[in-house]
Order: sequence, then C-alpha cells, then structure tokens
Amino acid sequence: MAQQEHEVVENRFREALTGRLRDINTVVLRSVEKRETELLRLLDRGSYETGELRELVRKSPFIHSVFVLDALGNRLHPPPDGPLTDYEREFLERSGQVWRDKQSFYSSSEAAGTGSSHGWYTWYWGNGVNLLFWLRDASGKVIGAECDRSRMLADIVGDLPNSDPSDPDLQGARIALTGGDGAAVYQWGTYEPAANEPPRARLDLNHPLDAWSLLYFAPPAESGQTLGRGMLFNLAAGMAVLVLALIGLASYFYWESTREMREAAERVSFVNQVSHELKTPLTNIRMYAELLEQSLPENDSKATQQLEVIVSESQRLSRLIGNVLTFARKHNDKLALHNTTGNIDQCIQFVLDHFKATLESRGVRAVFTPGAGTTVEFDRDALEQILGNLFSNVEKYAAGGHRMEVTSRQEGSTTSIVISDRGPGIPKGQEEKIFDPFHRLSNKLSDGVTGTGIGLTIARDLARKHGGDLKAVASDIGARFELELHTPQSKSSLKEAQP
Amino acid sequence: MIRQRIWHAVAAISMVFAAAQSLKASEQVKVDVAVAKPYLLAGQKQTSYIRVGLTGIPINDTGRRTPVNVAIVLDKSGSMTGEKLRKAKDAALASIDRLGPNDIVAVIAYDQTVDVLVPATKVADRQALRASIERLTAGGSTALFAGVSKGAAEVRKFLDRQRVNRIILLSDGQANVGPSSPGDLGNLGASLIKEGISVTTLGLGLDYNEDLMTQLARKSDGNHYFIQNTSDLARQFKYEFDDVLSVVAQEVTVGITCGPGVRPVRVLGREADITGQTVTTYVNQVYGDQEKYVLLEVEVPAERAGTERNIADVRVSYVNMASKNPDKISRVASSRFTGSPSVVESSMNATVMASAVEQIAVERNKQAVALRDQGKIEEARKVLLDNAAFLSENAVKYNSKELEEYKGKNTKDADSLAPAVWESQRKAILSEQNVRQSQQGQGQDRKKID
Repeated sequence: MAQQEHEVVENRFREALTGRLRDINTVVLRSVEKRETELLRLLDRGSYETGELRELVRKSPFIHSVFVLDALGNRLHPPPDGPLTDYEREFLERSGQVWRDKQSFYSSSEAAGTGSSHGWYTWYWGNGVNLLFWLRDASGKVIGAECDRSRMLADIVGDLPNSDPSDPDLQGARIALTGGDGAAVYQWGTYEPAANEPPRARLDLNHPLDAWSLLYFAPPAESGQTLGRGMLFNLAAGMAVLVLALIGLASYFYWESTREMREAAERVSFVNQVSHELKTPLTNIRMYAELLEQSLPENDSKATQQLEVIVSESQRLSRLIGNVLTFARKHNDKLALHNTTGNIDQCIQFVLDHFKATLESRGVRAVFTPGAGTTVEFDRDALEQILGNLFSNVEKYAAGGHRMEVTSRQEGSTTSIVISDRGPGIPKGQEEKIFDPFHRLSNKLSDGVTGTGIGLTIARDLARKHGGDLKAVASDIGARFELELHTPQSKSSLKEAQP
Repeated sequence: MIRQRIWHAVAAISMVFAAAQSLKASEQVKVDVAVAKPYLLAGQKQTSYIRVGLTGIPINDTGRRTPVNVAIVLDKSGSMTGEKLRKAKDAALASIDRLGPNDIVAVIAYDQTVDVLVPATKVADRQALRASIERLTAGGSTALFAGVSKGAAEVRKFLDRQRVNRIILLSDGQANVGPSSPGDLGNLGASLIKEGISVTTLGLGLDYNEDLMTQLARKSDGNHYFIQNTSDLARQFKYEFDDVLSVVAQEVTVGITCGPGVRPVRVLGREADITGQTVTTYVNQVYGDQEKYVLLEVEVPAERAGTERNIADVRVSYVNMASKNPDKISRVASSRFTGSPSVVESSMNATVMASAVEQIAVERNKQAVALRDQGKIEEARKVLLDNAAFLSENAVKYNSKELEEYKGKNTKDADSLAPAVWESQRKAILSEQNVRQSQQGQGQDRKKID
C-alpha cells in the first residue's frame, strides 16, 4: 500500500518535472522559430542576384552560406560558371553530400508536407549535425541557407536560464541540454549529479533538433521539497496541470456528447462546478502574479518578463476555458447568444490590440481595414471569442508570415469579416476538416504549440448560432477565413438615420 | 632621364595633394595607400604588393569618446581559485572604474554553469557592481562556450553600432562543457562579428587552449593576450580597455579593385573575399594612434618601358565615431615600367616591403608550429632559423626595427621546441602571430587615453 503510494507520488513527480522540461522546450522551440521567422524573411526575396546573396551571407549572423537551385535542381548560386569566393568553394565541398544526394534532399523537401514550401534539412558533416533551411518560391526555385551550428546553439543558450545561485527554482536541481553524443552542451541549476546518475525526467527535442534532449537531475530525497520550492515554479506547474486538465476535459466532453450517457442536468451542474474549479486557481495565479510584479525592484527586467509570460499565458488559459465551456454548453443545447448594440470595428480593434504584441513577437504584423463602423446588434462575447480563436491560430501556425490582414464590411444586416495570413496555409481538401473537433493539420516543428483542438469548431458554431457562417477559403498565399454574421441594424441607429 | 624627373615631380605633388586630402578635418581614419614597387621592370610578369594603411586619429575630447557596451566573461573554474580569481576580480573592477555613466557593462562568470553576476546595465551604481563581482567564488569545470553565449546575449541587449560592442573573455583552462573545438568557437566569433561584436580573449597561465582562444579573437576581430603570470593580468586588462576606449571608427570596409590585367593573388594575414578583380576585407574597428593594414599580393602583366599602369582603385568606408556619419575615402595606386633594374630596386617602398616580409614570416612561423605539432622538432627548428635569417636580411634592407625584433623572436622560438618549454612557448608564438597579423596594439607605445 505504502509502496503503491510511493509510486504514485514518484510518477506525479516525474510528470511535473517533464512538464517543467516541456516549458523549457518551448523556450528552445521559440528560439528555433525566431530563427525560422528571420530566415523566412531573409530568404523570401524573389530575385537571386549574386551580389545581393553575398551581401546577405556577409550580414546575417546565423547564415553561413546560401545556395539557389532552379525547379529542376540545377545550381544557380553559388554561380556555376562565375568566380567563387573561398567561402563558397568551401561550402560546395562541405555540402558535397547534399549535391550528390540531390534526390533525397528534394524528396525530403517534397515530403515535408503537402502545400509546405519551406523546412529544415539536416545532414551530418564534420563533428555534428548541420542545419539547412530551405524555401521554395512560386516558380519552383529553392533557396537554402546553411545555418551556423555554433551560432544557433549560442542563441539557444542565450535564451535559456542562467545559473543564479539565489534563484529558489534552481536549488537542488540541475537541468541539462544534451547534444547527439549525450554530453551536456549547456546546463544550469545548483545540483551536481554524479557521473552516471540517471536523470529524474527526460524530454527529447523535436525536429530539427532531433538528436537533442533535456534532462532533469535532482536528488531522490529532495523530490518533495523541490516541488514545494519557488513561487514561480509552483505557478508554472499549476498552469501545466491546468492545461492538461483542459485538454482532458475537452476530450471528455466530446466523447461524452457522442455517447449521450448522462443526464443533461447533471452535466450542467458539472460544467458549472468545473468552470468554478478552473477559474478560481486561474484568478489566483493572475492575482499573485500581479502582486509579485508590484513587489519587484524596478530594474529586474528578467523577472518582469517572466511575469509577463505568466500573465499572458493565464489570459490564454482564460480563452481556452471559455472554449471548453462553450463547447460543453453547445452539446447541452445551452448555447445562447445575447445581442447588445455596438460597433463591430471597435470590437475587432479591441481584440486585435490584445493580440498585437504576441503576433509581433511571432513576426506577424496585423493590418486592419475597417468597414463596419455602424451601430448594429450582435453578441460581443461571441465575436470576441471567434476572433480570438482565429487570431490565436495565426499566432500558432502562421508565425513569421509577416502579415495578417483583417477586413470588415457591413451590407444590410450582414457583417463580413475576412482574416488572411501569409503562413503555410491550409492544404487543399482540408478546408472543411479543420472544423472537426480535435483535428490537427501538420506535424511540423510549429506543433510545439499547444491547444485543445476545438477552437475552430467553436468559432464556427458561434458564427452559425449568430445567423452566419465561418468558412476557410482556398487561397494561394496562406490561410483565408471568411466570417459572416447576421447583425441587424440597431433600432437606435435606425432612428438616427431617419430624417 | 628627364621624363623620370618629371615623373618624380608629379609623384611628389600628388603625394602632397594626397596628404592634404587625408588631413581633411572631419575624417577619423588616415588612409595611406602605397605599392611595393612604384617602378616595375618592363617586359615581364611580376609580383607586387598593395598596402592600405588605416591609422586612427584619436578623439581627444574625452567627453566625445565612443560609448562602450562590454560584457566581461570570467572563468571561475576550480583552477582559478585563490590568487588568480582575486587578480581577475581586481582587474575587472579597475576596468569598470574607467567607464563612464554612458557606458554599459555586464559581468558573467562561468564554471560548468553560467552565472550572470551583472546583467547588462549602465555604469551607474558602482557599489552594487562591486558587490556582485566580489561575491564570486571559484570551483568546477569550464563551460567556455556557454559563457561566451551568455556574454553575447547581454551585449545584444544594448547592441548599437554607435557603441563599441565587445565581449572580454578570460580563461585559464580547457573548455570541457559544450562545444570546445577551435573551429566551433571560431565560427561563433565569425557570426558575432557580423553583428559588430568582437571577442577579446585573455589566456591566463599555461593550461588554456591557445588555438581556441586565438581563433575566437581572430574571427571576431578582437584582441588576444597571453598572460603567463597572474601578476600581469591587471596590465593586460588595462591594454585591452585602452583599445576599447579609443575606438575612432567601426565597420571599416576596404575594397580594392585591381586594374585591367592585374590579378589579385591573396591578402596576407587577413581574411578577404576575392571575386574576379575585386577584393573586399573588413575590419571591425580602428583604434586611435594605431595603424591596421591590409596587404594585397598582385600579379602585374608585362608592359613596355615608359608606360604607366593602374594597379588598383582603393575604396575605404567606415563609420566615423566622432561624427557618427559614414565616411568614404578613395585612393588610386599605380606603377610605371622601366627598363632599369636599379631604378626598380632603389624606388622600392620600404614600409610596404617590410609589411610583406612580416606577413610572410608569420606564415613560415605557422608552418614551423605545424611541424612541431607533428613532433618534427628538427624540421621546425630549421624553418624557424631560416625564417630568422630571412627576417634579419630584410630588416637591414628595409631598415625595420619590427623585423629585427621578430627575427629575435624566431631565433628564440627555435631554441624553445623541447617538450619542457614548448607548452608556454607555443602560447607566446600564437599570440605573437596574432599580434602581427592583426596589428594589435601592445600598450607600450600608446598615449595615455584618460
């Protein structure tokens, strides 16, 4: 009995530690994505003039070399017949394997996904993995950049935490990032594991850092204590548990709803209970985060940043909770809208303002062209929820797409809003499927992103409930969503319009 | 004969003109372009050198000194315990004392982990800075790569092309956590320089990896110092800050376009992009009262006597740290052809030739090190002694104290190949090669800056 209990505790501990490693992994992923965003911006150029490409290599810290291939795989850069710099000659020698094995490079680029036009390619050379980032343009030409491995690693190290001995989170723990050979390339925390000590938790990283892992070391005796230490750690662990709970809940509601096993009344009370259960800790997290922010010294930018992450992540959780509740209510036929009078453009702007910072940090600039400025009747909460889900998709899946365009139009009693991005887009034939609950599109790097998989389902349900619809429309660049809502002119504005 | 005199007169006038031009008040870098052989022998293909000298004109008004953004990255591995760490702390503190309120400093210490003691901050609260550095204790292994990475992250917080952006790395041991090959660190340096961040490396004692430390400094256009005795630490730190605080120009690009038919062969001692007729090299910064030079070897085709040939057009551009504006300077290098070997000999430019001899001697010195690394002590000794003879001969010919001095060093190197002394000598040799290839200032002949 005691043994069992011990195992349960140990498992829970490992889960919490793995959750912690997952949080750290998001730092690594973000670092790689930042790189990806920057590379997309630099390589998406249309023209491949030799002088410009050389200037690009000279000025870009993490590009070691670039090459361009035409649609048939023939090399256009480095110039096949022009004079080459020493660097270019070295690169061609170094990457000989890629050229000899052009078919595999091409097939890996093709296989990287329908509709996908960029990605990572790895090959082994010298003392480790070399990373190539490639991008195919509309005419079928491929431009690729050889990334500097040292630099990529240095940037990841720069983004990962320092070893601050006074940081309570790191007391009695050691976290290590290991490379292909299993040796630590970077590590932090005060605990010194023995030479062959097994880690308490381990997380392998995703493509393109396949060979890498995050390891968590801690002395066995201190497990309970480690968990108990550190306010930030508790907050983070709390959030991780909440996310897991949410995903579980969403699944639960979905399967339950198809089985019609329980009484609706029971479920309503359960939903209410859960909504309370979820919202209370979340409110506490936000309240304490804000309190903590006030008590920080002004120049502690690191802690302020970390707190901002906590606050913005809790806002994201609020949205997710909102989704789960809406989803549950729908399946209870309890989803009802409450129209109020208001201005659609103002509502769009409000939601956009909320997302502006996160979008920009992901390399996406939002451009809004308003055209629905009259006062109409609509459910503000529903519209906010729909837009929130759509924008958060852009944030998650179209990072680095440079631009998200939002336009609104008002015709009679119908408001149309179009949201288009320049991300990877939706593969042909998937335009309907993405509205199915728990449907995920790709399994690329960007899938480090979290989510319950019901955002679009809910957005469409709400739009339909609102007398309109939400559709994904085939588009040449990126994804394009068209939202229609039934929005009768408000009585007061009709009065104003009369002579 | 008469023609030759006229030419001399023209040359003299144009030199005066060039001097007047280079004294233009706003410019912060004096550019001297010269060819090794103003007269080339007619009727045959031959080798010449073009030397582009860049001398920083100091900004005398200390209030206008270029603000700096430095990260001091200290080794606190176990081997630093005691005297070494004490001196390193003192040197760092003394350096910070020389910084002003517009400068930015970060202090990072690494063993197997990395501790950012002072995140990048304006030098305002010196007491707090001092306290943070004082709490440093030593123990553990050496995560050098991570230390530099964190240093770069701190510098990047205030990265600004109008500042001197620099990482100053002190290490006394072998990097043994994270990437640790000279190539890996060299690549990191080459990447950082693209952002305008140089890494200066200070190797303390006899246990550090001199290949790694010189590569990192070379590829990022930073300085490298070999500090054999801990008691020299403070002085070398001072030299480094003399340099850091005297930067007058940054992002220096030297573009050399060879005249028709003239073939650029190689740039000695520096990395350069050579494509077709165009040669481009970059220097991250020029310090006041110090000359950096770019030396290009060219092959000039045969020509009739009496003709003149354009050897190269030289364009130097840089950001002037006093005016904060980009400056552009153009020069032309040309040679005439004569049938007289004695004219060729007597007109030879001693400065250019001495620089060429110096760079060739460094290359031979490197060959000797490579031979010694393979255990071929006798071959290495022979190369060094031949090199000393080569230097000695040319020191006389071009009346060069620099070459004479390097002759002495090569002779000493030849006597220091035995296993017992090689370890320390190798560090001295690599440091000397770097000083000569990058024309690093050595403190002694510098004016006091502040």
